[in-house]
This record gives sequence, structure tokens and C-alpha cells, in this order.
Amino acid sequence: MSIVARNVDKVVGEPPNRVLSGITLEIRDGEFVALTGRSGAGKSTLLYLLSSLDPVSAGTVEIAGRDVGRMSERELCRFRNEAMGFVFQFHYLIAELSALENVLLPARRTGQETQRSIQARRLLDQFGLADKSARLPRELSGGEQQRVAIARALVMEPEYLFADEPTGNLDSVNGETVMQIIRESNAKLGTTVVMVTHDPGFADMAKRKINLADGRIVA
Amino acid sequence: MIFLALRYLIARRRQTILTLLGIFFGAAAYVSISGFFLGFREYLIDQLVNNSAHVHIQAREEFLDEHSLDASFYGKTMRHVFWSTPPSGRKDNAIVENPQSWYRRLAADPRVAAYSPQLSANVIFSKGRTTASAALVGCDPVQQVKVTTIGDYVIQGSWSDLAAGGNRIVIGDELRKKLGVVVSQNILIASAKSPATPFKVVAVFKTGSAQADTRAYGAITDVQRVNHTPNQVNEIAVRLHDHTQAAALAVTWSALSPEKVESWDQQNASLFSVFALQDAIRFLSIGAIMIVAGFGIYNVLNMTVVQKRRDIAILRSMGYGSNDVVWLFFSQGLILGISGVTLGLGFGYLLGLYLQTVPFGASPLGRGAGHLLISFNPAIYLQAALLAMAATLLASVLPARAAGRLAPIEIIRTGTE
Repeated sequence: MSIVARNVDKVVGEPPNRVLSGITLEIRDGEFVALTGRSGAGKSTLLYLLSSLDPVSAGTVEIAGRDVGRMSERELCRFRNEAMGFVFQFHYLIAELSALENVLLPARRTGQETQRSIQARRLLDQFGLADKSARLPRELSGGEQQRVAIARALVMEPEYLFADEPTGNLDSVNGETVMQIIRESNAKLGTTVVMVTHDPGFADMAKRKINLADGRIVA
Repeated sequence: MIFLALRYLIARRRQTILTLLGIFFGAAAYVSISGFFLGFREYLIDQLVNNSAHVHIQAREEFLDEHSLDASFYGKTMRHVFWSTPPSGRKDNAIVENPQSWYRRLAADPRVAAYSPQLSANVIFSKGRTTASAALVGCDPVQQVKVTTIGDYVIQGSWSDLAAGGNRIVIGDELRKKLGVVVSQNILIASAKSPATPFKVVAVFKTGSAQADTRAYGAITDVQRVNHTPNQVNEIAVRLHDHTQAAALAVTWSALSPEKVESWDQQNASLFSVFALQDAIRFLSIGAIMIVAGFGIYNVLNMTVVQKRRDIAILRSMGYGSNDVVWLFFSQGLILGISGVTLGLGFGYLLGLYLQTVPFGASPLGRGAGHLLISFNPAIYLQAALLAMAATLLASVLPARAAGRLAPIEIIRTGTE
């Protein structure tokens, strides 16, 4: 069930700009990997290639033994829904839905919102948001919103959690809380975590660091 | 997705209500305007179909021209005939040439429900010093009520009294007022060919049409006698079992005889061209409203797609497909369309019910006491719903498809709203 990238290149824009070159790596099940590097090194691009949101220009990405480039949109959607969770730098909550409804949004896709509501409430409770489940995102602080976003990423109990600078928009206290939650989901649930961060302290919390520079793995 | 679509619509209350109003007004306008026009039209057609004969067989009036009599005088051998004083005038009396053959033909035709020979003559009615010139229609009183609904419009006396014969007439209410006569009184009727003959008024009718109410009906033999044209008829009025066959039958019969044969719709062809013009104006004006409403939906949804780019990205990342995103935005248009159409049709229906109570003129514009006539034909409601839904769905599909084509990674990469 590992994630394997082989000779992955990514070229974007016109004129073509090579963002990633010859990336080959394997992320094993249950690993907590931090993608680090300077701004523009290609960390986020690699995260989205590994998570199937962005297609590769060359090479292959396999998740759980399946080449994501060969999967149909339908298969990819189901795979993302059942096996992947995403946390972005900006929380990306839906403004019209309450915290609980936002958390249950992935479950709605397959009509599982009733079955998953206990899990959703448990996550909100675990993240200190039990009394705020009915609030709209605008009624929550930045840290609370990001915790709701993490609860949403975890509600389907995914095998993979992809996080792009999850603490980038938070103060240090909220950043610590969010990192604690991510680390616990990796430690207790065995979720494979791939996280982009530019913060060396948070990167140190990961079991393994992959450092990028100019679109290549340097360490 | 409907759940989220509803939340989006509720969150943008003002935009939603304004968009809804566009569709609402479009549907309501279509229903009420069409109801008004078609109500009046249905009434008129009903009057034409039910009140008068379906086919009119009339004497053809032929006028002589320079060469009309060439063949009669010189046969077919003379190709070029020049007259020092060319013939002119009318060829003959306006009568149905051989009514008996028509009677046999009509009696044998299973499509014919009834027929009534008539003789119309312009005569002078007088009562005391009051005189009035009007048409006197001679008919077979028993057959006439089978061919037309004139018997239903009798307001005093009884139509059947006409059948007793002996110089009796049923008089239109307008003519009655002009003459100042009441039922059971006698009036004098004179034609150009005969001195004044007394007739007894046995009944009064009122159709609501001033033209129709200025004539009088008598037994055909009495009218033939007053007009000095015994056994002559100048029209045979025919009623069919199916009025829609009238035009086709008129064409067939027209080819069989010298008489002018016209159906009820051929006689009123100008009225039908006015109806066609009315339809064109109706569809154009309502179409304009629908286009404006459609543009309203298009603008609102387009703006929503731009505003909700981040939502699209997160939905796609959690496994919602491009079709789900298309449906998310398309369903908003659908919800607006269905709600607007339902409310518009309901309001249009209620407005129609109210308009029906508004006094307006007298018959034939109004029914009974002279109220506006509104059609509640289900076809109007179906057309309004289809038109409004077509405008709504067309306006929704473009922004929805654009939303479905958005790549989540592009939105995430730019990090913009």
C-alpha cells in the first residue's frame, strides 16, 4: 500500500518550465514524511503529484500498487474519497456549511453522512470543537477552522493524509496543536502522512524528511 | 449536491430572490397574457362554431364583363368579339340555382348533422311612425335551431311559435328597441316589391352582437312571399357533426356546383390572421422577458462559479467528480427554474381567476354579465413551464459546464478565490 514515484518529471506553463526532474521515491505505509525545501523547490508540486490531484509530465506514480495515471476519473474519485485526506494551507471550508456539515462533506458523496456522524463528532470533540460543531466557518478562529479541515480530512479514516503547509497560516500555538493532531493520527491510526512544510521544527516531528532543491531530491 | 446547492441559494438570498422574480414574472406574464388573449379567442371561436352554421352555401353573385356574353351570342368559333357598348351589370338574381339537389346531397351525407335553407331580404320594418331598415331572414324554424344556437338567445317569447306560420317573426333586441315594439304586437314589413304586410312579434332574441340583434327571423315561406320570390333561397346553412371538417368539405362541395361554399373558418380568415399576429406578438414579448430572466440566471451562476473556485477545488480533492460539480451549479438553475415556474404559474392562475371577475364591456367581450374572459387551458401552463424551464436550463448549463472543467490543482496552485 505504499506510494511509489518513478522518474517523475513535471513541466508547467508556456514556455515550458521544468518544476520537478527525475523524482524517484517510495513512501511506505504508516510513514510520516515531511517534504522540505526553499520556496519554489517543488515541494507542493510533488505533494499534488503523489496525491493524484496533478498529473505527471513523465514517469509514474503508483499508490497501493496502482498507476494513478492509468486510473479513470471515476476510480480516482472513489480512491480519493475513500483512501485520501487533504489539508491545505488555507482551510478551504465551505462558508455556507456548519463545522459538522463541513466535516461530513466527504461522507455525503457516498451517502454515508449518517454512519460517519459519530466519527465526525468524535473528531470535533477530540480537537476541542465539540461545542462549536453548529457554527459556520466565519464564527470560528483560524486555528479552529484548520482543525475542522483536519477533521474533514480524517472523517473517512483514510490511509493517506496529504498536508500542504497545514500550519502556514497559523500562529505558533495553533500550529503546535495542528501538528499534534497530525502526528497522533499517524501514530495511533497508522495513517500515512505526507506533509509539505518550510518550518524546520515541524519537519523534525516527521519520521522522515525529503529535502528538495530546484525540483530534485537532494537529501 | 442538492443539499449544497440549496445552501448556496439560501446564502445569497437577494440574488436568489431577484433571479427567481425574473422567472416568476416571465411565467406569470405568459400565463396571464396568454389566458387573456386565448380566453377572448376561444370565446370568439366558440361563438363562430356554435352560434352559426359550419358551412354556408350561398348564391354566387356574378358580374358581367366585356366578354361574358361572347360565347352565348357567337359560339366558340369567334375568338375576337368587339362591342360598341360592352355588356355590364349582374348576371342573375342571387339565388341558389338548384336547392333540391343540395337538399338531397346534404340529406345523404353522414357528416351533415342538419341544414336549413334561408332567404335573406332587406326590408323596411315600421311601427306607427317609426321605421327601420334591416335584414329579414326567412328560415325553416325547426331546422334553424338545429343549425345555429339562435333559439338559446331568445329572451322573451318562444322561438317555436315561429313554426306555427302565418306572418310571425322573432325580432332582435336592438331592432325591437328601435321600433319600440314588444312581444305579441304587430309590425309592418315592406320590401321594394311588395306593400307593407303585418307580422306578429312572437319572440325577442339577444346575442350581444349589435349586428346580429338588428335582424329578424321569419318562416321562409312568409319571407318568400314578402320578397316576391316564391320557392327561392339564397343560402343553405349546414351544421356538421365535426366542425373541423368544414373547410375540407367546403372545398369539395365548391367544386360540385356554381354556388359559393364557404366554411366558418374560411369566412373569418381575416380574424385568424389577426390571431396569428397576436400569437407572434405574445411569443416575442414573453420571449424577451424569458431572455432577460435567462441572462439573470447566467450572470448569477457565472459569478457564483468564480466565487466558489475554492469550494470546487476542495470538493474535487475529497472525491467529487467533475459531473458532481456540474450538477452542483446546474441544480441551482434547476431549483430556481422549478420554483420560479411553480410560483409564476400559481400567481398567473390566481390573477386569471381575479381578472375573470373584472367587469369589462358587454358580450361578446364578456360572458354573461360582461366580465373578462380568461382561458385556463392546460396547454398555456405547459407552454409557460416549458419556455421558462428551457430559458433557465440553457442559462444554467454554460456556467455549470465551465465549473466542471475547472482543474482543482490550478485553483489550489493559484490560491485565489
